[in-house]
Amino acid sequence: MREMRTHDCEATLTDSEAMDFCREGYLVLEAVVPEEINKRTCEFLLQNERTEQLLEEDWFVDNVILNAQAAGAVRSLLGSNFKLTMPFIFNHLAQEPMEPQAWHRDGSSHYGPELDSLQVFYYPQDTPVELGPTEVLPGSHFLFGGFSHMDHYRNFKGVVSTAAPAGSIFLTVYPVWHRRGKATSAGRRNLLKYWYTRTVAPQRDWVTEPGLELAHAYHRTDFNIDHRETHRAMDDTAEMFYWLCGEHEKCRAWSNNLPVYYYESSESCLQCGHEAAARKARG
Amino acid sequence: MGRSIQQQVEACVEAFRQGSLTEASLMRIGELAEGSSKRQSLLYLQSKRTSITSAVIGMSLFKDGQFHDPTGAEDWPYGSVAEAMAEGWRIVKFPEMALLVDETRTYGFGCEFILEKWE
Repeated sequence: MREMRTHDCEATLTDSEAMDFCREGYLVLEAVVPEEINKRTCEFLLQNERTEQLLEEDWFVDNVILNAQAAGAVRSLLGSNFKLTMPFIFNHLAQEPMEPQAWHRDGSSHYGPELDSLQVFYYPQDTPVELGPTEVLPGSHFLFGGFSHMDHYRNFKGVVSTAAPAGSIFLTVYPVWHRRGKATSAGRRNLLKYWYTRTVAPQRDWVTEPGLELAHAYHRTDFNIDHRETHRAMDDTAEMFYWLCGEHEKCRAWSNNLPVYYYESSESCLQCGHEAAARKARG
Repeated sequence: MGRSIQQQVEACVEAFRQGSLTEASLMRIGELAEGSSKRQSLLYLQSKRTSITSAVIGMSLFKDGQFHDPTGAEDWPYGSVAEAMAEGWRIVKFPEMALLVDETRTYGFGCEFILEKWE
C-alpha cells in the first residue's frame, strides 16, 4: 500500500467559505477530478470488489485523495499535515430505482464545535437526481439526534441534493444528517466515501480576508435555517468558527453567559454593517 | 368491550332460534363490518415551535399501508398542525416538552406532533 501518513498543501478556503462550512456542515466541489480519472475509477470499481485497493493506485491517490481543490479545502479546515484514515474507503453503490434511504447521521457521531475530522464523498460519474444522490440537511450537524430515533423522518424543509457532474467531491462534518435520495432510474451510482483527520491544533491559517473580525461569524445576515432557533444556530456556527481559528476560549463570556461577540467591538462590523449589539448591551 | 362480528352473528342466530331476532341486531353486523375495514393513517408533523399554528418544517404521511412522500415542500398537504386538524386529523401525541428544556442542546428535529385518522 502506498505510504501516505500525512499531507500538506496550500489552504484554499477563505474566511467566508470556512464560515459557510461551519454553518451548512457541507461543501460541494463540482467536477474537480479530471474526466480520465473518473472513467478509470468507474472501470476499476466495475472490476474490483475490494475498493480499498484504489488506495494503492498512484493515479487515484494523486488525483482524488490529494486532489488540489479538495485537499486545499481539507487543509483549510483540518490544518497542515492532515491525515487520511487509510486504508478505509467504501463504495456506496446503487444500481436501480429504489426508495430513499432513511435519514441518519453516521455512527458514533459526537456533537460540538470541534472539527477534528471530515467525511468526504466522491462521485466518479455524472450523478443527477434520478440516480439518487446523497441528500443533506444543512445545519443538522448541530442537531443532537439518536440514530435509532430518526427512522420516522421522511421530508424536511431545506434539504439539499448533492446531484453533481462526474468528478465532484463533497466534504461534510461527520454528524451531518444525510441519506441516499430516491432513485427513479436504473444506472450505476458509485459513491466513494473516506475520511481525513487533524494532526495539529486549529488555527486561522487559511486564506484570511483583510479586516474581517471573528465576530462576523455571528453577524451573518444570510442565515436561514428553518429547523432551528436562529440565534442558537448562529451561536453554534460562530462557536465552531472560533474553534477553527484556535480562539475557542473567546467565544463566550462566562461571567455573564452572553456570547463574547456582543463585546468584541464597539464599531459596526466591517463585513456586514451589523451594529455591534454591544452598544445595546452597554446601554 | 363491544362484540366482534362473529359474536354478533352468533347472537343473531340465537335470537333467530328464539324468535327474538330484530332488524337492529342484523344492522349491527353491518356496522361492525364497516368499522373493521377502517385503517389508521398516521401523520407526523414537525413544526418550528410548539404551537399548532407554527409552520411545519418536516412531515411523514403513512396511509393505506405505505408512506406517501411529496416531491417537494411546496406539495406538502398542510402548512401547520391546525390546518391538518381542520381536515379531520386528530392529535395523538404532542411535542415532548421534557426533551426541549436543555438550553445548550436541541434534540431531534423541531417540535413533533403525531396525528391520526381512521378512514
